[in-house]
Amino acid sequence: MSGALVSPDLFTLCKVLVGGILRILSDGVLAATPVGSPVEGLRGLGYFLVEDWLVTLLAWVVAITIMVTWAAAIQLLTIMWMERKFYARLQDRYGIMVSIWSLPFWPFSWWAKRRNKPTHRGLGYLQNVADGVKLIQKENITPASADRAMFHTAPVMIASSTILIFAALPFSEGFVIANVPLSLLFILATFSIAPLGILIAGWASNNKYSLIGGMRAAAQLMAYEIPLLLAIVAVLIYSGTLNVIDIVQRQEVPLAASGPLSYIPSWNIFSIPQFIGFAVFFVAIMAEMERIPFDIPEAEAELVEGWTTEYTGMRFGLVFGFKWLRALAGSALVVILYFGGWSGPVFTTLTPYVGGTAIPIPIIPHEVWFLLKVYFVFLIFVWISWSVPRVRIDQILNIGWKKLIPLSLLAIIVAAVFAAFGPYLGGIR
Amino acid sequence: MAEFWVNMGPQHPMTHGLWNMRVKISGETITDAEPEIGYLHRGYEKIMEVREFQKNVVLTDRLCYVSSVTWSHAYALACEKMMGLEVPPRGQWIRVISLEIQRLASHLMWLAAYGPDLGLLTALLWALRERELFLDLLQLLTGARMNQNFPRVGGVRNDLPPDFDKYCAKIIKHFRGKLDEYKRLMHDSKIFRMRTQGVGRISAADAIDWGVTGPNLRACGVDVDLRRLEPYETYDEVDFEPQVWKGGDGGDSYARFICRFNEMRESCDIIEQAVKKIPAGPYRAKAPRRAEGEGFARTEDSRGEALFYVIGDGDDRPYRVKIRSPVYCTMAATPLMLRGNKMADVVSILGSVDVCVGEMDK
Amino acid sequence: MAVDWQLAAFLVLSVVELGGSIMVVVSRKLVHAVFWLSVTLITIGGIYLLLGAEFIFLIQIIVYAGAILPIFTFGIMLTRRKIMEEVTPGEVPQEPVPETPEEGTP
Repeated sequence: MSGALVSPDLFTLCKVLVGGILRILSDGVLAATPVGSPVEGLRGLGYFLVEDWLVTLLAWVVAITIMVTWAAAIQLLTIMWMERKFYARLQDRYGIMVSIWSLPFWPFSWWAKRRNKPTHRGLGYLQNVADGVKLIQKENITPASADRAMFHTAPVMIASSTILIFAALPFSEGFVIANVPLSLLFILATFSIAPLGILIAGWASNNKYSLIGGMRAAAQLMAYEIPLLLAIVAVLIYSGTLNVIDIVQRQEVPLAASGPLSYIPSWNIFSIPQFIGFAVFFVAIMAEMERIPFDIPEAEAELVEGWTTEYTGMRFGLVFGFKWLRALAGSALVVILYFGGWSGPVFTTLTPYVGGTAIPIPIIPHEVWFLLKVYFVFLIFVWISWSVPRVRIDQILNIGWKKLIPLSLLAIIVAAVFAAFGPYLGGIR
Repeated sequence: MAEFWVNMGPQHPMTHGLWNMRVKISGETITDAEPEIGYLHRGYEKIMEVREFQKNVVLTDRLCYVSSVTWSHAYALACEKMMGLEVPPRGQWIRVISLEIQRLASHLMWLAAYGPDLGLLTALLWALRERELFLDLLQLLTGARMNQNFPRVGGVRNDLPPDFDKYCAKIIKHFRGKLDEYKRLMHDSKIFRMRTQGVGRISAADAIDWGVTGPNLRACGVDVDLRRLEPYETYDEVDFEPQVWKGGDGGDSYARFICRFNEMRESCDIIEQAVKKIPAGPYRAKAPRRAEGEGFARTEDSRGEALFYVIGDGDDRPYRVKIRSPVYCTMAATPLMLRGNKMADVVSILGSVDVCVGEMDK
Repeated sequence: MAVDWQLAAFLVLSVVELGGSIMVVVSRKLVHAVFWLSVTLITIGGIYLLLGAEFIFLIQIIVYAGAILPIFTFGIMLTRRKIMEEVTPGEVPQEPVPETPEEGTP
């Protein structure tokens, strides 16, 4: 099995980093203020810079910044780019092509292809950055008769609860901010604050369409939280823990001790009740992410933009972009619970020597395996989204309440039966 | 829960064209509906009174801009009936070819608009990709992709270009394969059927009462296709089958979808037969400049029965032109289709009815 | 200076919670009251967290902020006529009245 790049955990790494930098600074200050010089008073600063609580505080700040930038900036841009390119190819067209070669100054404009079309020059990664910049420079309009306080607060509720998911979502066993015993439940709790924000946003816009869209969104999201949680109970019966990292580590053991099955890790998707749970979870998380086929709340054809109709500028960008962040978190949950998280085989391990210590770099490390699996699951979501029509809201609620809940209860019962009697029936799982 | 009126339009991504649909909803169910039309009224019938007969073809093209040849052809047919003019056979066959190509382009535009209404955004790009091929054919034949100004009173504007049958054969062969792809995308999709079956039902009796025609009527099980009932041009010499919904539970969006979809296959058959059967000869007869009398023509437009009634009083302009548009009558019947359904079904129903506002408002 | 972080956190959470609960009662608009109620309930969860009961904290958020408060809001939105009539001040939702032509107009 492979190892993680970020080890033992993000905070320790950041503390080492920050501690090193602060020690260099402190040494510099102490060297610049020798005893007996007129600036001797500044020696206190040098001693202050290596105080433990300062290093810890700055280490936390750096760790959180790294995680938020990684998840909410780099990964967000990457999955947005992947989605737009993928569905463009499904639709028989190239997709977004704005890249670094589109910049209008030298050397990019000099060596670029398609000289007369700056937006058609490359891979397309920078298009989303351009869209973000466009949204930032737009005017934030508040409708005159909208409820000002709630109109401004609701996107904050949605955005903050979405970012909070990444406090406990690990990208590998070390790349996590908070490794708490109940992290899976924490992730789901923060997922479930968003419906309230959407409902308030729809109401606050003072627009019939937004109100309808907001109510539909909240009804759908609440209906699908139940099968989501029940499918997780089925996983819990097998894993016995709510700690995300332990759930993944329990999936790293091989299926059988010897024989052909010993090459296959015991991912949850390979067991029968979990497969039922996976089907339920897959549909439920698609509904939670408000993707087509479940995107009636913001169905353009009927309700313009649904509950986000009155939002403009970066406020709109916030709620719009956070839909993708929730998609990322949803795909990450699917991978963690059913596809073995970040576990994967290691092909080789490079050990470069840095400053006397050997740093093992496994190829392919856990972070990369995790990202590969998340992208794969996300692309399946995109594929389904762009190939099927929308389901009507009453049909959505029908599926959620009447079809998914019995299935997930079945998954729990079968999982309990297998967990209890599995060893007697020849290790069936 | 209170009932209130919601305006869907006139500015709305769903309404293809400029009209307003007011629906009265109680919760999620529609209790009443009222279309408000006339936003695109351009005063056609009056304008056509001050232009010469041949010059009116430019206007009739733009009645339904998606399906221009069929409307100009209906007008030309009415004028020929009034003048007692006989179009030479080659002209009639060329007209049939251009009509069927235009029908295909129009149905593909409808498909491209219907998919995104239901959330299936891929259908937009796929259908428009195929529509490009047919617009290329039209450009080859007539010189323009839309609003071609092609039919003339007495025939057509120009002859078929050389090798036209080879191009037709190639494109139709490619298109038939694509029709199977669309079938997999749309018919075979359970969600699509969930959205369209049983939705927007109108009974055959109601449809006939309200004057619904075209694929919308054939979807209710009524076998009325003007190309078979009152054949004009050379439709009685081609072999095709009007697509009628067989089975008892027609009249819903799914039946309308299937009927209009399968018409595309039939149009392909007609074009293939026509390019083989077309005789040599003149393609246009000279129309007199001044005419007196009444001419009345009904044709099977892409959306239903298009009817022109032209009265001449000896001048070189018509005295009166009366246009009957199929969408105008179907729009009056939409409240029947909408009542009792959910608000999310409005797009499904109105999309399956294939509204073209240009011909509705004239 | 030794700061008792437990006490400080408890004080902050209590102030926010008490303030929120006062705003629930005092707010003029019902949806504002719902918002402040959600603030109150989440900070109560925070106090549970301080007491070491993490599970209850998470269940409090899932159940109260995630389910019960949206149901409250549904109840408000589906039963208050005033919400519907607060829509776009200029538009009055009513049946269109056919106008009778005045005398003398053609």
